[in-house]
Amino acid sequence: MQRKLFFVFLIAALAYPLMPLSSDYVLHVMTLIMVYMVLAMGLNIVPGFCGLLDLGYVGFFGIGAYTSGLLTVHYGMSFWLIVPLAAANGAMWGVLLGAPTLRLTGDYFAIVTFGFSELVVLFLTNEIWLTRGPLGLPGIEPVSLDLSFLNPDWFWYFDGEPPYFYLAIFLVAAVYFLLKRVEDSRLGRAWFAIREDPMAAASCGVNILNYKVIAFAISAAIGAVGGSFYARWYLFLSPDMFKFWESFLVLCMVVLGGLGNLRGALFGAVIMVSMGEVLREILPALGLPPEVRFLVYGLLMVLIMRFKPAGFFPAIASSGKTNPMLVALEKRICETHGGASGSDS
Amino acid sequence: MDPILKIDCVTKRFGGLMALAEVEYEVRRGEILGLIGPNGAGKTTMFNCIAGIYEPTSGQVVFSPEPGKNIVTNGFKSEKVTKLGIARTFQNIRLFNDLTVLDNVRLGCHCRTSSNFFGAVLRFAAQQREEQKIIDSSMHWLEFVGLGKNALSDASSLSYGNQRRLEIARALATEPKLIMLDEPAAGMNPQETQMLIKLIRAIVAEGITVVLIEHDMKLVMTICERLVVLDHGILIAEGSPKSIRENPMVIEAYLGRGAA
Repeated sequence: MQRKLFFVFLIAALAYPLMPLSSDYVLHVMTLIMVYMVLAMGLNIVPGFCGLLDLGYVGFFGIGAYTSGLLTVHYGMSFWLIVPLAAANGAMWGVLLGAPTLRLTGDYFAIVTFGFSELVVLFLTNEIWLTRGPLGLPGIEPVSLDLSFLNPDWFWYFDGEPPYFYLAIFLVAAVYFLLKRVEDSRLGRAWFAIREDPMAAASCGVNILNYKVIAFAISAAIGAVGGSFYARWYLFLSPDMFKFWESFLVLCMVVLGGLGNLRGALFGAVIMVSMGEVLREILPALGLPPEVRFLVYGLLMVLIMRFKPAGFFPAIASSGKTNPMLVALEKRICETHGGASGSDS
Repeated sequence: MDPILKIDCVTKRFGGLMALAEVEYEVRRGEILGLIGPNGAGKTTMFNCIAGIYEPTSGQVVFSPEPGKNIVTNGFKSEKVTKLGIARTFQNIRLFNDLTVLDNVRLGCHCRTSSNFFGAVLRFAAQQREEQKIIDSSMHWLEFVGLGKNALSDASSLSYGNQRRLEIARALATEPKLIMLDEPAAGMNPQETQMLIKLIRAIVAEGITVVLIEHDMKLVMTICERLVVLDHGILIAEGSPKSIRENPMVIEAYLGRGAA
């Protein structure tokens, strides 16, 4: 049932840009939602899977965006080449930041990440020779798809919203697929163990620091991929797009959806971005300044903590239950133990 | 008989508190050794010094996974000690409560497996084989402790006694040469304790040496071949259960002066 609903939804989304009544505004918002979906899934790794509070995720988003923007403006590189480069650059900074600081626990680590994202903004603002500082980075070329080595006519510029919309869907699907697989693997289990009980994890032979750094690097790489898409879609970058509150917004999405649950991260992105758009219409009509939206986000968080402390999709011990190996195992257990699997007497 | 573990003059200080004072004893390969003593005697501190959670202030812990191979484990981190072949359980059960029973044991297999991020994403044939191997050996240990039918339920849904046995299964999954059980019978009813005795004997039959901390004297006297008694961080007696029962120092430590 859920699966059917999902496919109906997916087909409707895929068909939407082809409809005569589709509006560029709606497509733009949907693409923005998907950018945040990528970010929320990427951030989810650190606080959701490993249990570490990361308040500086936007730093990696910024690094990815500027990597993409600068490589495009100066070298005219293809988007498809930039994505892996941006991911590698993000991961590199993730390791450089993570390796020395992931020894810190809890709040101290959160403070360091917060400082890092501020550092990124300061760098982007002040290193004018590289980033043009507060003037921003205009004139980034849109994405193009060059298959002319197959057929001389196969060369497309991404013009308008629909192609970006499809590209974003592809990106979200790819990140989701990747993280779903990692979640159900030796690596994912090691992360969960660190989240649940670091001491017990170490006594199982998990090298805690290494696995935290891996988590941080993968999370940073995904943030940077999101950034590299954002740069080639928005076609303009400025340092104040990567202010602290963006980190907070993405963290809200993850908490709202349910820490440690990928579907929750997707859901959180939909809610938070749509709410931002709605508030942008409502607040001026009520005569309130647009900054009031932060108060509304805060209120939403308070309500979530009060009524749904684990988010809308709590992370449950169900990771990989559809894995064929586990399905086979479940059958085996039922056969040998007479179907009474799961209940403790 | 050659020792699998040698505690050589180990001292552990926490500021002014002397938790262990020049403790010296050996664990023989293939035996069941009981580590007993009143509360606060330093038994768990001893375990933590061996398991790499604490580093001894002075002295050496020498582990020999195979006869003739001696490794000083001072300063090793827990994961390295586990990899060498020393597994442990915790006094206050430390399971991964949000994970399934199977996942808890699969984590025990972590240190004997190697698949990484790329294996996880691309699911190579080798990685899939390893994953199947992890599931199979996890199930083997779950059946071994008698939790096979609970494999797919949440760890937190198990009864207290079963949680203790799950912790043992997780420790066994690390394929240890030596397993340290910290109060395995705490909170168990007599029936569960009987099953635990059987389980510990089965573990030794697998060729794994067992060291256990326990307050249940009946259990200790039944299964341990030798006992080491600590009191206020000092080793006060060592020997067979019978000799320990009659040792005036031990009786004094437990019951106070004059009781002997």
